[in-house]
Amino acid sequence: MEQLINEIKLKLIDALNLDGMTPEDIDDNAPLFGDEGLGLDSIDVLELIVLLERNYGIRLANPQEGKAVFQSIAVMADYVAANRTK
Amino acid sequence: MRKVVVIGESILSPLGATPQENFEAVCRGESALCRYEGMFGVKEPFVASLMDRTQWQVEGRTFFDAVMIEAARRAVEDAGIDPSSPRTAFVLSSIKGNIEHIDTQDVTLAVSARRLADAFGNPNAPVVVSNACISGLAALLQGRRMLIGGEFDHVVVVGAEVQSRFIVTGFQSLKALSEAPCKPFDAHRDGLNLGEAAAAVVLGFGDSGWELVDGAVRNDANHISGPSRTGEGSFKSLRYVLRNCTPDELAFVNVHGTSTLYNDEMEAIAIDRAGLLDVPVNALKGTFGHSMGAAGILESILSMHAVDAGLVLPTRGFSELGVSRAVKVSTEMGKTDKKAFIKLLSGFGGVNGALLFRKGGAAC
Amino acid sequence: MLTIKKYVYIPCGTDLTALYRAEVGDYPKFFKMDTACKLGFLLAERLAEEPRFTPREDRAVLMFSTCGSLCNDRHYEDSVREFPSPSLFVYTLPNIITGEIAIRNKFEGETSAYVLEWFDPETFVALVEQAFQDAVTESAVCGWVDARADDDFTAFAFLVERDGNGMEFNKETIYGTVNQ
Repeated sequence: MEQLINEIKLKLIDALNLDGMTPEDIDDNAPLFGDEGLGLDSIDVLELIVLLERNYGIRLANPQEGKAVFQSIAVMADYVAANRTK
Repeated sequence: MRKVVVIGESILSPLGATPQENFEAVCRGESALCRYEGMFGVKEPFVASLMDRTQWQVEGRTFFDAVMIEAARRAVEDAGIDPSSPRTAFVLSSIKGNIEHIDTQDVTLAVSARRLADAFGNPNAPVVVSNACISGLAALLQGRRMLIGGEFDHVVVVGAEVQSRFIVTGFQSLKALSEAPCKPFDAHRDGLNLGEAAAAVVLGFGDSGWELVDGAVRNDANHISGPSRTGEGSFKSLRYVLRNCTPDELAFVNVHGTSTLYNDEMEAIAIDRAGLLDVPVNALKGTFGHSMGAAGILESILSMHAVDAGLVLPTRGFSELGVSRAVKVSTEMGKTDKKAFIKLLSGFGGVNGALLFRKGGAAC
Repeated sequence: MLTIKKYVYIPCGTDLTALYRAEVGDYPKFFKMDTACKLGFLLAERLAEEPRFTPREDRAVLMFSTCGSLCNDRHYEDSVREFPSPSLFVYTLPNIITGEIAIRNKFEGETSAYVLEWFDPETFVALVEQAFQDAVTESAVCGWVDARADDDFTAFAFLVERDGNGMEFNKETIYGTVNQ
């Protein structure tokens, strides 16, 4: 799981164009959205949907589903581990 | 102060090659929205209103440049002005211009604007207003400002947009496109349709005809792609143009009405806050789709024709109110004896705009 | 008469992340921006005055360039070949730079983006003056941000106001200031 979390962080930094950030800058349990933590927004949800499909073969049709999955890096990693097709 | 008025116009769209043809098509309830599969090499099917490329293609020009120049030529001819005069200026409104050729050409809008000015032998620096989806409205306002600035007698304002894999995949990635013809302000709306068009207006000074009374552009200062939850910028632009008229003068407000969940709700809130719930509201995206840089000019011209005919156009695609405020969306062709309307638009970058048009001078 | 309250610029080749960390540091959205928006954002930070972040409608944001969003357009087009990127697509508009500045500073006035063939001080001044025809606009952040590539850009901006104490905002003073 440790390895998957790190991998997701690296992919997220790349996908969201968070130049200058490293995995150490992101807390596993901090909220990804809203004013706390990374402060990601609705466009980032769409970008994370692309990330899941591209890397793990998981298709989320609806951005609303994404909100639950993308609560934190830890929640996201659990979801990927349970649903990945590649 | 002298009045800035519309002295020439043109529209090229899938529904017609003149403003009159387009107006009649709208009155008949037509639309060119249809489903495309594999178009532009886009994998997912999409619904759009696209022009016939063979109809307007000109040897040695891109399709975008061809329709931009043709729309300008027709408006200039309609106005009967000298486009090569140093007292004439050109303003171009487009969002993505020649973007379909990004791999092979210089696709900056500055290059298209130069081709536009050169096509008419115009000596002045052409200005491009690129303000996302409000570009057409902002370009008309820019034209008015250039006239008032005193340097020019005529300004040719041209709006054009053609579609491409670049734009369609972008809106698909935002999950902003509907898989059916769009439904502005409707309870079942689920996204927008893209469209292609070119439209132009020549502005000059005059005492009668359609006056571009004033306009404003205001930012939500909230989010680059999500509309404000309070309709902040849209409300503030409405409030600005309402300094120059009262709501009971207005035949209608022609809204942006893209049919996305958030845009239409935001506009309804702005209209309510501006005290315009009693004024009829209509949208033309269900007819032409969203023609982006052309939309503000296309929709303003058709609104002028409607008022000239004493009509309030219906909102194609709308059937059941789906916004939180009791906006008076026009469902069927209505009659009006009023002589003014507001054109409203909003776009990415949090930008919003309103223009006030009024028919002046002798009774028509 | 329009006057110049302040002038700022960012030299071509500047490391924008380093500049952000040195001068701002508290706005993580910065990392999501494309190069043009980063430049506009950093210029506006340097023009900022206290008190900050109070919503105001009287300050416009007027940005000019030749390339528009071309640099980011290329990045988006590259993404289309595999998975079109929504976060790159939203930056494929020349006016997002004005939106980013408005959002950060709570400027609720006019925001406009213009594309010109080159930096021509005469047209630049004329367009800014015309924007002041808006009766609410009392001051404006107006700048030239031309990002030809992520490491090749021209970026400068003025804070211009109605009837202030600074130098007159005209093509001669602009030319002199920018050439310095």
